[in-house]
Amino acid sequence: MRFFTATVLGLLVPSLATASNLTTPYQIAVPADFKPPQVFRNTNLVRNTNLEKGYVRETINVVVENIDKQPQSQYYIPFSSEVFDRVGGFEVRDKKAPEKGRFQVEVTEPSSGNQYFVVHLSEPLAPKAQVTLGISYSILAALSPLPATIKQNDQQFLTYTFSAYTPSAYQTVTQKTKLKFPNANVPDYTSTAGLKSGADPERKGATYTYGPYDTAKVTPGTEYPITVRYEFTNPVIAVTRLERDIEVSHWGGNLATEERYWLRNNGSKLANHFSRVEWTFANYQKAPSSAVRELAYPLQPGSVDPYFIDDIGNVSTSRYRPGNGKTAANLELKPRYPIFGGWNYSFKVGWNSDLSRFLRKGAGADSHILKVPFLQGPKMSEGVQYEHVVVRVILPEGAKHVRFETVEGLNSNGLPGSNQIHASLSGFKTYMDTLGRTTLTLEVDSLTDEARDAQLVVTYEHSLTDALRKPLTIIAGVITLFVATWAIGNIDTSIKKR
Amino acid sequence: MAEPSSLDVLLKGSSGRNTRGLLRIVILLTVAAAAVASRLFSVIRFESIIHEFDPWFNFRATKYLVENGFYSFWDWFDDRTWHPLGRVTGGTLYPGLMVTSGVIWHVLRLLTIPVDIRNVCVMLAPGFSGLTALAMYLLTCEMSTSPSAGLLAAAFMGIAPGYISRSVAGSYDNEAIAIFLMVFTFYLWIKAVKNGSIMWGALTALFYGYMVSAWGGYVFITNIIPLHVFVLLCMGRYSSRAYIAYTTWYALGTLGSMQIPFVGFLPIRNSDHMSALGVFGLIQLVAFAEFVRGFLPGKQFQRLLTSMVLLTFGIGFAGLVLLTVSGVVAPWSGRFYSLWDTGYAKIHIPIIASVSEHQPTAWPAFFFDLNFLIWLFPAGVFMCFQSLKDEHVFVIIYAVLSSYFAGVMVRLMLTLTPIVCVAAAMALSAVLDNFLTLGKPTPPSKVNADGSKFFGSGKGPMVGIYSSISKLFVSGTITLYLLIFVAHCTWVTSNAYSSPSVVLASRMPDGSQFIIDDYREAYYWLRQNTPDNAKIMSWWDYGYQIGGMADRPTLVDNNTWNNTHIATVGKAMSSREEVSYPILRQHDVDYVLVVFGGLLGYSGDDLNKFLWMVRIAEGIWPDEVKERDFFTSRGEYRVDEEATPTMRNSLMYKMSYYNYQSLFPAGQAVDRVRGVKLPAEGPQLNTLEEAFTSENWIIRIFKVKDLDNFGRDHSNVVAFDKGLKKKRATKKKGPRVLRTE
Repeated sequence: MRFFTATVLGLLVPSLATASNLTTPYQIAVPADFKPPQVFRNTNLVRNTNLEKGYVRETINVVVENIDKQPQSQYYIPFSSEVFDRVGGFEVRDKKAPEKGRFQVEVTEPSSGNQYFVVHLSEPLAPKAQVTLGISYSILAALSPLPATIKQNDQQFLTYTFSAYTPSAYQTVTQKTKLKFPNANVPDYTSTAGLKSGADPERKGATYTYGPYDTAKVTPGTEYPITVRYEFTNPVIAVTRLERDIEVSHWGGNLATEERYWLRNNGSKLANHFSRVEWTFANYQKAPSSAVRELAYPLQPGSVDPYFIDDIGNVSTSRYRPGNGKTAANLELKPRYPIFGGWNYSFKVGWNSDLSRFLRKGAGADSHILKVPFLQGPKMSEGVQYEHVVVRVILPEGAKHVRFETVEGLNSNGLPGSNQIHASLSGFKTYMDTLGRTTLTLEVDSLTDEARDAQLVVTYEHSLTDALRKPLTIIAGVITLFVATWAIGNIDTSIKKR
Repeated sequence: MAEPSSLDVLLKGSSGRNTRGLLRIVILLTVAAAAVASRLFSVIRFESIIHEFDPWFNFRATKYLVENGFYSFWDWFDDRTWHPLGRVTGGTLYPGLMVTSGVIWHVLRLLTIPVDIRNVCVMLAPGFSGLTALAMYLLTCEMSTSPSAGLLAAAFMGIAPGYISRSVAGSYDNEAIAIFLMVFTFYLWIKAVKNGSIMWGALTALFYGYMVSAWGGYVFITNIIPLHVFVLLCMGRYSSRAYIAYTTWYALGTLGSMQIPFVGFLPIRNSDHMSALGVFGLIQLVAFAEFVRGFLPGKQFQRLLTSMVLLTFGIGFAGLVLLTVSGVVAPWSGRFYSLWDTGYAKIHIPIIASVSEHQPTAWPAFFFDLNFLIWLFPAGVFMCFQSLKDEHVFVIIYAVLSSYFAGVMVRLMLTLTPIVCVAAAMALSAVLDNFLTLGKPTPPSKVNADGSKFFGSGKGPMVGIYSSISKLFVSGTITLYLLIFVAHCTWVTSNAYSSPSVVLASRMPDGSQFIIDDYREAYYWLRQNTPDNAKIMSWWDYGYQIGGMADRPTLVDNNTWNNTHIATVGKAMSSREEVSYPILRQHDVDYVLVVFGGLLGYSGDDLNKFLWMVRIAEGIWPDEVKERDFFTSRGEYRVDEEATPTMRNSLMYKMSYYNYQSLFPAGQAVDRVRGVKLPAEGPQLNTLEEAFTSENWIIRIFKVKDLDNFGRDHSNVVAFDKGLKKKRATKKKGPRVLRTE
């Protein structure tokens, strides 16, 4: 069986590969002591760090000037190697012309503690010319709870450590950092000394501003560590792995979605064990808690037959509020138990939708275009981070010439560039398939729920012959069965004399 | 009269035979479908879930088989149960059930139909009960000339609560396939005896082998077939047919049964199997005698026969006693003794008596499980006496034996149900065949032949039913009984036998269903948030569920092979903390799980089972655990203010009520199961700490504390911690010390 599959796929795959745009992320090789050429200067840099959610979201607006004699197009953005893998949804645009879309970004291998994103400006920057780059990304698992263990009803505090000088490969003339906290309760923060005149940071409600600093003399790469500690009595929801299957059925006119989550709360652990009494009372008072009580999961209009199960069966505590066809349906997922810091919970949700909402005919006779959300996931005010996401689009049996792209808008869609998405094609056999269904697998690391609205477009070709393959196979099988039964029934095995 | 003629075309002649054949197939398929459908209550109401306790083990074993293949399943040593002993699971289970579902799963996978192994397991019992209905049809058709008897029997078997009780969807237990195998084996056996055919005998042996691999109840077949042959011999009905059938079955069947590791050499060493061997020897002698009879004159033959019988019986019996005494042949097992003396288990093996399904049957249970079949049953058995062919003798023996066994042990109702269905169908079909004919009886008609059979010898005056009023009345009454039977079966199935018992259902005030899912909540918490190797101690009832749902090693489980180990757990639960803690430490226990129904009024909790723990522990340590100490001086089992000090200091009591009082206003804590007000001051735990309590408090999990860093006693640590906060604590400590000492 497996051999058969392998040969068939072997025949299939080359034709697929020629037409598809499948990518495997790669890293540009660099020498061990690599330093980006000093061809740019950041004349002004403003970093906005948003700490309102369970992950760090940063947007950097930087005015870049070419100080070289040649036009330059490669702008390097450094991250330390430990952080680099946890940087998600990295995107750079021209701040002045966001409608032009994102610049192409590549990554380098680690070198001397740093790893670089290489931004390819769409047109080389002439000497002395300036461009304003809007860099946005999120950093996962950068927040750590302090104290690491708290009592069940205590407030939870998170700390975030960063450098007052925004890491850059180039000389920066002035820069500042704005921190946005979820609330004004910030018991501890680093006050800098000697970096600028006046109080640093400047505090205004839940917004703290470090800088502006005059850093024209500071060597690029210099760090000035700053730690802030703020209240965050919400769960720090981290999905260590998400597997999302989108199954297209032309015969059934159905789009089946199933998602498998491995969830963990990265907040403070419980100092004592869980006390049901305290939890009951806290729930009664609706007190804020560091535990996940419930996950609100909006589904698209027209989603039906939802289910919420885990390894040992249906989770009866969930509730489904169907929309009226136009408004979004809502799936209220209540885990079996409240998920406190350090606790895990893995589960599965799935639903069906009408395929016609997502699929339309393409230009060619057999061409189809499928537009589905890349990521859905729960919508939580405290945010959700995804460490590893695998999206499988299971196309009908015999689908060929598969291409995919993600839809770009004016703003960041939360996804990294397509070249950072690991894409591959494989076969998947189910429900009496003979060839196996063409499956497009997309893998991305370090996403956040910023990517909730990202759309994925998959085009493929699927002909009538492909559609008829299965019914014909089944008919042939049944006929064979009848003929075999009849033939065997006609064999006389008696040992009597004839 | 165009209509009757067109009907005649359909119902008479060869096309009539075809029509009837087709109708029969359609009816049988409908019966099978009804049998499957009536077992799906729990799937529809709840979900596709494995029920109760033992099925969780079978499910886990099946998953192991599917994941690791047959050979590693066969050699499976499971170190996650019976910690620290482990269990040679592959050699101590009946693999038939798991292998069956494994094969089904593999076939489905070969057809690339993606079915979860859990769904295969859940649907196995209903699927096989559809097959049982078909097997029942075949068996009954062998017993009766009436074609309707088989169909009726199939229908009865399909929906009789006595069988449904063990075969609803999710009840993934050995019985799920064993009853089908039993009925089918009996059918093949009757076929073999009737035809004297080696093929049928070999088929009987084959299915007997399958049955042995599936259920310990195979011993019933092992004994009833020899008994059948023995009775036939005693009735002077020796025939070469019986000889061929029996010897084929015994030789092949015994070899087949010895292939199962768990059975092994039992068929030649265990007393339970000796009757089959004895009859095998006997039938050889009888055959020899028959052979000799052909050559010897009558008188000499008589003498020879008598002496031979006496001699062999004497030698055989003496040999058996000798072998039993010397230990070559194992004595009867405890469960076997408890079949003859219902009080035996209670005195000698409390662990068997503590299982509710091993209790003697209450009389209403017969009506509950069989409804009107139970009073048709004697009529059917009586009819077997009327035409006493070999197969009817079988029915009579089966009826007598299984009636007795069903009276002794609740769960053996299961073996009674098939024969009740056969007998009742025979009786009812005789009635229906006579009363449901439109024409009046005329001497040569078929109806009369049947009627005369029912009313006595055919030589007397012509008897038959002439009045259509009486026909109408009787058939109307029977129809009513049948309808009531269907209604009763549906009601019983829906209300009594379709609860998964893992999930509890109740109704909200507005009528909507409210599901109490505490078991899975706690098990899943264990599964997700404890180390993979954390040892969980609980009473043995929950061992399989913890293994299956929480996937954690357990100390004891529902396989009760090691009484001492269970008693150890019982002792730990029923002793003071100072005694229990070393036991917990010695057994590497990380978490202790108790079931507490006090908040919800869930009566199946551990405190209500507590006396069994005490009794089983007392069986091993009569000096340390005494059942009497748990009763008040007036002999009451109490948990409130008047509970005995032993009770209050037992680990079980402390764990059940720990921190429970703080849920209520001071002094108003109530236990809703036992309906009592609890002491104002809750128990204090020193060596354990509460780790998790489920939403409705049904499951409480406690973590065993590690040794104190300063080497102090745990009670001192707690006192010290409390002393820092309040001074009152030391004052409270005074009387407590006095009381425990």
